[in-house]
Amino acid sequence: MEPVRDWKGRATLVDLLDRVFDKGVVIHLDLIISVAGIPLLGVNLRAALAGMETMLEYGMMQDMDMKTRMWEAEHRRKKEAPLLEGEEVILNTFGSYYYMKGIYNAWKSGRLYLTNLRLMLYQQDIAEIVFEAPLTNITGIAVRKESSFTGKDKDIVYLYLEGKKIARLNVLETEELRRNLERLVEEAGVTLDRALSAEGLDETTSSFLMEGEQVSCQGKMWYLMPKSGIMVETWRPGRLYLTNTRLCWWNDFDKRIVFQVPVDKISGSTVEIKNISPVLRGQEVLDLIYGCNGSKMIASFSGKSAEDWKKALNELVASQGQAPEDREKETCPQCGSRALAKELLQKGCAKCGWVSPRLQKRMAPVLKAR
Amino acid sequence: MAEGRYVYCVAADSKAARLGNIGIEDNQVYAIPYQDITAVVHACAPTPYESQDKEVVDKWVVAHERVIETVQEELGAVLPLGFDTIIQGNDQGNVEQKVRDWLKEHYEKLKDTLDRVKGKREYVVQVSWDTKTIAKELIGSDQELKDLHQQIKAKSKGAAYMYRQTLEKLLGAKLEQEANRRFHDFYDKIGSCVDEMKVEKLKKEEQPRQMLMNLSCLGDPKEIHTLGGELERISNMTGFFVRFTGPWPPYSFV
Repeated sequence: MEPVRDWKGRATLVDLLDRVFDKGVVIHLDLIISVAGIPLLGVNLRAALAGMETMLEYGMMQDMDMKTRMWEAEHRRKKEAPLLEGEEVILNTFGSYYYMKGIYNAWKSGRLYLTNLRLMLYQQDIAEIVFEAPLTNITGIAVRKESSFTGKDKDIVYLYLEGKKIARLNVLETEELRRNLERLVEEAGVTLDRALSAEGLDETTSSFLMEGEQVSCQGKMWYLMPKSGIMVETWRPGRLYLTNTRLCWWNDFDKRIVFQVPVDKISGSTVEIKNISPVLRGQEVLDLIYGCNGSKMIASFSGKSAEDWKKALNELVASQGQAPEDREKETCPQCGSRALAKELLQKGCAKCGWVSPRLQKRMAPVLKAR
Repeated sequence: MAEGRYVYCVAADSKAARLGNIGIEDNQVYAIPYQDITAVVHACAPTPYESQDKEVVDKWVVAHERVIETVQEELGAVLPLGFDTIIQGNDQGNVEQKVRDWLKEHYEKLKDTLDRVKGKREYVVQVSWDTKTIAKELIGSDQELKDLHQQIKAKSKGAAYMYRQTLEKLLGAKLEQEANRRFHDFYDKIGSCVDEMKVEKLKKEEQPRQMLMNLSCLGDPKEIHTLGGELERISNMTGFFVRFTGPWPPYSFV
């Protein structure tokens, strides 16, 4: 084998460039010229002379490049959902699930996997299975167009599960999911109930009630929306609900809960006759007194059943005995016991040992290090 | 106005020779001697050569190299400097004295190095392998990998996936072991053919190729065929590739 040298072509010029830029006799720094105080040597010189592309080509940024790749590779690995033995992915798409358990009440998004065994929503970043249902537990599926707060109509998938549970999903490929899901379940000899249309649902409560939450009182009530931005204080129509965990008001216009207060924050209520508009004079107004961040707040509702509400609320306060703590409490999603939200999220549940997935992930390297 | 001297190299000579307009951008190249060593330079403004144009840079670099090689051929030994090394003078214009002072100050060391590299040249040796080919061979020869590979075929789709993950992990570890073993083997073999050797940073190559070693070697051009023979044997091995370039001035050994 003979050494090659041909720096008219580029093949071996690279070796020459490596040498003249990074090597050679080094002259004492104060003798030679510099640019902006940085001596023109090695990397600096090369950076000044050549663009980024050239630097990469010559392998200068190799270390950094390698780290980026490793990070990327690790990141990609995490994105694989944990599959069971013999489990095959049939559909893999983007989706979100309306998660209502204890402290959480929001859409959680991730990758939706439909496999030969189950339907699962997996959040890659924190490696959490947000939602999963064995195919054998699914009894029906319905799709309904709903307007989302973005103003666009979205297909919301209602999944009927054993035990009269309903899961709400938003999937990128709705039809694809429905078709495949029906096929899979039918192969197992079950026909999915499509007649159980979403219209049959109590539209409002099904969309905001959490698991284990039960409504004890409900009724049409106007709510005095506090001013916000350019909006002045206004009365809005909607429904007031009292459940075992909170009092909340559903706005008929926005189709969502806009006001809520945990039951242990309610400290009392009064009813007064007020003129709420030039037309609506002498209306019964229910003023709800509750604690929020250590101070007392008032929310006003109006409606025919204001007196009934006052009775129900004051009974509630009485049953709670002493004045509720002026601290933020939340419900553990696993065992349902009440604890400070901060403690729940930062330490986990003291009763059942539940730890939030995000915290679990943060703890993982620490535990491993031990 | 302050002046600068672009320095190409240091050589063993005592004459204030003129080499003609062979420098960067056809500058007149000449020697500034101190006793029996000399700095080969051209006169320039004390500002660096800079360009975003790769072709312009390449042209300068090649001119820099040509000057050094010309000197090397005439005087036998050179100590090359990196590109764009410019010694700057002050307002009194005594830049040549500054060059001479520098030679004087480092005389002993420069002289020793000149003796050490006399008659020798630098060669680049880069050995790479094709990870795909090597991996295939490893699966065929390593019992542990062989067994695991066999097991996958009998598994269901889901389980096979898990097994493949395990296999890939194990294969990665074995490849690393193999790379280590090869490196030491080649290092010893190549080392016995040359006078001096330096391990350089590895360079990125296109997948599935991967560089195993990047060496700068100093040796006598008349003896370099022994190294050639050794490299020939390496490049004949399945899945291995050798890049062998030179001779270059001894940039890495000064």
